[in-house]
Amino acid sequence: MLGRSERRGGRGLPHQGGAHVHFNVGPGWFNCRRKFCISDRRPGSGAAQPGFSPLDKTKPAESKQDGNLKPHPTPPIAPSADKLPIDKIKLPSGFKAEVWSSGHPGARTMVMGDKGTMFMGTRTIGRVYAITDKGGKREPKVIIQGMTQPNRLAFKDGSLYVFAINKVFRYDKIEDNLDKLPEPVELTKAYDLPDTIHHNWKYVDFGPDGKMYVQVGSNCNICETNPGIHGQIRRYNADGTGMEIVARGVRNTVGFDWHPVTKELWFTDKGRDWAGNAGPEDELNRIPKNMEGASFGFPYCHAMGIPDPDVKRPNPCAGVIMPAALTGPHAAGLGIKFYTGSMFPKSYQNVAFIARHGSWNREQKYGYDVVMAKISGGKATIMPFMTGLLNNEKNEFYGRPSYVFQMKDGSLLVSDETSGAVYRITYGDAKTAAR
Amino acid sequence: MTFLRLKWWQPPAFGLAAILLSATAVFAQGGTLAEKIQLCGTCHGEDGNSKTEKTPSLAGQPAFYILNQLFLMREGVRKVEPMAAIVKDLKDSDLDGLSKHYSALAPKRSDEKYDRSLSPRGLAVVAERRCGSCHLPGLVGQQQIPRIAKQRIDYLIQTLKSFRDNPRGGADTAMSAPVAGMSDDDIQALAHYLWSR
Repeated sequence: MLGRSERRGGRGLPHQGGAHVHFNVGPGWFNCRRKFCISDRRPGSGAAQPGFSPLDKTKPAESKQDGNLKPHPTPPIAPSADKLPIDKIKLPSGFKAEVWSSGHPGARTMVMGDKGTMFMGTRTIGRVYAITDKGGKREPKVIIQGMTQPNRLAFKDGSLYVFAINKVFRYDKIEDNLDKLPEPVELTKAYDLPDTIHHNWKYVDFGPDGKMYVQVGSNCNICETNPGIHGQIRRYNADGTGMEIVARGVRNTVGFDWHPVTKELWFTDKGRDWAGNAGPEDELNRIPKNMEGASFGFPYCHAMGIPDPDVKRPNPCAGVIMPAALTGPHAAGLGIKFYTGSMFPKSYQNVAFIARHGSWNREQKYGYDVVMAKISGGKATIMPFMTGLLNNEKNEFYGRPSYVFQMKDGSLLVSDETSGAVYRITYGDAKTAAR
Repeated sequence: MTFLRLKWWQPPAFGLAAILLSATAVFAQGGTLAEKIQLCGTCHGEDGNSKTEKTPSLAGQPAFYILNQLFLMREGVRKVEPMAAIVKDLKDSDLDGLSKHYSALAPKRSDEKYDRSLSPRGLAVVAERRCGSCHLPGLVGQQQIPRIAKQRIDYLIQTLKSFRDNPRGGADTAMSAPVAGMSDDDIQALAHYLWSR
């Protein structure tokens, strides 16, 4: 029974809520001997499939890519400050890079408290750091450890929100209690996120409307997803009530920001793997006004209208909002920030900086930099900004930029996950830069 | 350290509690690397090849893998009860020393009962699930990815089940895809085949 419905898969499955899908997983489930057997949890049922969609259609052999490509490890121990790749970084004329902080392995997202504490989320190493200024030197301190991929944090009204994989905690008055963290208020139940873990390390942020915007990734590389559960951006009231879906068909966004003028949400989205070295390319997307809730194409339609080779439907790109720009094959654009500071030249106003974490599913490595997206209406042009961490000839990298953060003085911070460091980019003479 | 010297070479049957107690003492008191290795050996085998039920062999594991797992256990991301007290006070330099030591040792098969008839199915599972893509065609592991060839059968079964049924899913989501929906029979076959590699 299971086998037959799976064989029909490509044509017969409108989505996981469709009639062909076997929801009620009995004891027979574990006897399924096929490569992938049909099953998925019903929303809220708590049924047996953890982790990953069994509908994954990845076919690495057909991609003709080197079958030994695999994700890069994140070193759990950071190099000492003198071994950081700061000298390799290249910037446009007039810009400088310096080490802002170091010694915090797994450095990813950054969010600042009202009293100037920099909070930092990580993935596999499970830590949250607080970085404080001690006489002009930044000191990192582990404030949370042992969490499951607390990638993203948010800060509001004195409280730090920590989003781990499908768990949500709020630490009130945290900046007054950095030495002994208060017991968190757990909001996991209220947010009611799916229990699948793949692509569900979270990105979240408070929007201009004061709501919490939350990523819910696709639970696979490439598969039919239930558009009511996976592959979305949602928004909630801060306490987890009032959920609305603002974007669908989003494979895995782990960075978004709002345009300073139009207030529209722009987000990076990572393209699928094992469909060739050339892509489909990653995307920079915009949710146009009055188009909230629309689809961005996953899993049927990628990049500027490429039908998926493995998950097919008629008119795969019908009704899909095309990207504002492509951001490179397997480049892994993560953090994005529209620049609104006063330090950089005027031409940088409202330009989006995007940290590209760098490729793994590509034989010739790509990315490992920070690019600029110059916005014009609903479109964007991608240009290089911070380079030098990728050596094309040797096909090796020296750092992985993950997120960008704009400081009050207009300087730009870039976190480097593999070096466990943050670089500060300034413009102009030392006096301006020291502001 | 006297009581330690009495116990480190004793077979594991002597009592896990006693070993853990002594281990905790030595690790907490910041003993030398050699002393720490002796203690690891009580369960993981003197030569890094485990004779202890459901306890992994460490010999020939990629150094980064050992370091990374020790780190994750120390931080409480990967929760392994018998290891918690042992790794608690390890310094980064210990992680480095231990991982280099074990990665240089030669892996050997355990003396578990091997069922040859399961191997063809195990081989098929390796191909279907593309284990070699990350663990390399020889299944010897690389960087953060462990060697699974010649690993203990009972440990492999336990580990695959915990990836499939989720308690170990979150620290590294990479294993959630390959084990999704794997049957108990296939896990059994895979474990026997990997042992024989």
